[in-house]
Amino acid sequence: MYRKYVLKRVVYGILMYMVMIFIYSTLFNNVADKTTRAQIDEQVAQEIHRYKNLSPAQITTLLQTLKQNKIRQYHLDEPLASRIFWRSVRTITFDFGNSTIIRSSTGDRNVIKIILEALPRTIILFTTNILIVTLIGIYMGMYAARKPNGGLDRVNSMLTMITNGLPAWWLAMLAIMLFSYSIPIFPSGGLHVNPAPTGFKGVLDYLWHLSLPLLTLVILSIWSTAYLVRNIVLSNLQEDFVMAARARGISERKVLFGHTLRTSMPAIMTMAILGLFGSIAGNIIVEGIFGWPGIGNLYFIAVQQNDVPVLMATLAIETLFTMVGFIILDILYGLLDPRIKVGGKA
Amino acid sequence: MILHDSLEGFREFWREFSRVKSGLVGLAILIVFVFLGVFGRYLIPFPDAQRHWHDITYWQDNPQAAPPVWFNLFSARKGAPSATLAAPKVTTQDEGNGVSLQTFTYDYNYVYDLAPRDIIIHLKGVGQVPFAVTLVRPDGLSAPLYQDQVQLSSSQSLRLSMADSSASNVVQFVTQSDSQLGNTLDPNLIKPIQVLFSKLDDKVLSRPQADKGKYQIQIQVLLLSPSIKLETPSVLISGYVSGLLGTDLSKRDLFTGVIIGIRWALIIGILTSVVSVVVGVLFGIMAAYLGGAFDWFLTRLYELIYLLPVLPFLIVISAIFKPSIWTLIIIICLFFWTGSFKTVYSMALQIKEETFVEASRALGSTKSRIMLKHISPILLPYSFASMALSIPAIIVYEASVSLLGLGDASIVSWGQILQAALSQGAVINRLWWWVIPPGLMIALMGMSFAFLGTALDKILHPKLKTR
Repeated sequence: MYRKYVLKRVVYGILMYMVMIFIYSTLFNNVADKTTRAQIDEQVAQEIHRYKNLSPAQITTLLQTLKQNKIRQYHLDEPLASRIFWRSVRTITFDFGNSTIIRSSTGDRNVIKIILEALPRTIILFTTNILIVTLIGIYMGMYAARKPNGGLDRVNSMLTMITNGLPAWWLAMLAIMLFSYSIPIFPSGGLHVNPAPTGFKGVLDYLWHLSLPLLTLVILSIWSTAYLVRNIVLSNLQEDFVMAARARGISERKVLFGHTLRTSMPAIMTMAILGLFGSIAGNIIVEGIFGWPGIGNLYFIAVQQNDVPVLMATLAIETLFTMVGFIILDILYGLLDPRIKVGGKA
Repeated sequence: MILHDSLEGFREFWREFSRVKSGLVGLAILIVFVFLGVFGRYLIPFPDAQRHWHDITYWQDNPQAAPPVWFNLFSARKGAPSATLAAPKVTTQDEGNGVSLQTFTYDYNYVYDLAPRDIIIHLKGVGQVPFAVTLVRPDGLSAPLYQDQVQLSSSQSLRLSMADSSASNVVQFVTQSDSQLGNTLDPNLIKPIQVLFSKLDDKVLSRPQADKGKYQIQIQVLLLSPSIKLETPSVLISGYVSGLLGTDLSKRDLFTGVIIGIRWALIIGILTSVVSVVVGVLFGIMAAYLGGAFDWFLTRLYELIYLLPVLPFLIVISAIFKPSIWTLIIIICLFFWTGSFKTVYSMALQIKEETFVEASRALGSTKSRIMLKHISPILLPYSFASMALSIPAIIVYEASVSLLGLGDASIVSWGQILQAALSQGAVINRLWWWVIPPGLMIALMGMSFAFLGTALDKILHPKLKTR
């Protein structure tokens, strides 16, 4: 029964992902076709160099045949619907091709390599942020829930609403202005000093460059996380089993971290997993302001340079991660709450 | 009767609302914002700024990147603020043959440490006139700043900037009083206005000391024939500090920009949230009540849009279509209706089974009547809260798109101001008065709606009410 539920969920997720990729392909079809044609011309021109002792007439015919072959290979001679379909297929099978302008640090134009270069940087910054925020947030939220309307709770809910409409990039601008230019204790951006130091010094330098963006993100997002945890825990604290546990003389600490945290886990996990998988996309503007060359930054450069292969690939990968997050969540729900796997309506 | 009922309902609502302190604070801030949004144009020093935001000549008399006026309170060295010198003493001297010499004398009391950046003179009139400007210093020396023959026009005023045109005159003036000092000055390098307002000693270049006291600006015009006419010239001091929030690198008054931004933030936030919440509520009710294919389609659409990454998508669409602000609002609505859909959907599923709906159906009501007259009024209060709660994110999205230079450049939004700040190096040059206020306004407006929304949610949301 459970296996069937999981299978159903995964298949549905894959279908959904395919639909999304189809939408992206449709959206970028025009530009992408042009890009592919330009790349074919480039490739053919390169290949023709290999045949040296040919007459000009032969070269022209060879050029034509090579080009025709390529165009057929990429289905560019087919009608619109079919072009979109084949582009979707290539994207779904991770065949992202080559970028038009953007290159990896080693000069490679393979889109997958470019993305794999940017992805770890984003993970180091944003996923670390989510981990720190979730851990501290759970702790803070629990304590806020223990004394609703107490000092910590009030400060926390106040800061949640203040940070609610606060753009992270604005805080980033302020942080750089204050801590990189007025009181220069942190670097204003980038991954490392130039030239990059090696060994232990390199690690220290990396951490030094990481600290200002990370601090900015943590300070901004910790309050709302704690507030969410507080709401979840508070609703559970009013349940009968908590009262029963208290009546049995179990210490408040144990009631909080033993009984209540456990029942609150599904909801907290939703928050954590969605945050974790969402963090892979990074933040386009914050990365730009801190000069942090991660996925968000890559995406914006791709938009600016009109580099559709990179753009498509980045969008596809972000969507994939979100999708996987949702699927994992649903599967875990089924594990934690047996009522869900039957598939009954809410 | 209905009026009485709704009045009573409102009174009850207000009794509950006034107990939530944060909601009251939010409401108060919001009222101030709405007031400034509506009447702001009467408070700002540059009322036409919205139309002329990118017009260089409109802002030309402001100083460049000047700190706000109140910065003087916190700084040991006080800067001269921008000012308009009015009410000149006018004397006319008849030189015979229809020729007359008109002298306008403006008093300027200089009590600051840091000199203004410019003295700007606007002239309007008819004909060609020989014209001279002299600055009389408190030490009695008079420095000639400008003399030339100028062509006046009655439609467009002639603008003369003393900082641009008086350098060699100032060097000459210094040389006359102290030839040794004068020789050290290079007309291409000095700031003439700063020299004029400083003590003339050997530190005039490195660390100028302000020469405080009463200055006089004299404008002398020779009217060669009675047909030549001249309106009273206007003299502006372009200050070291300027305006309530300073100016940016394009000399724009930032207080004006921030106040105009309020109107746009309110329009964008409220319009987008109202449209998207109304659409979300209607779709939610329709999906729940009509069911079947409708339910299936709307739920799939909801899931699809929920999966789309909002900001990347907004950016790509903005980059392709270069939307106006109205198009951008529609695009944001496409994403935001999902915010209220799911909750409304599950609530409507419950309401659908209530007896009064059944009764209404038995009486022969149409589906649209049941949905609009019976189901939506119950869900309406909930939608108010979710409108208020979605506004902060909407404002941030607009600002983000603008910050990347993809927004509608014809409006003066906070995002646009911050975009200019970021691209023109306000962060590196620590022009904090350019960076902090617009962002603070975004945060403050977001906060007021969040306070209001949370308070409404507490009172109106049936699930939370029981707590």
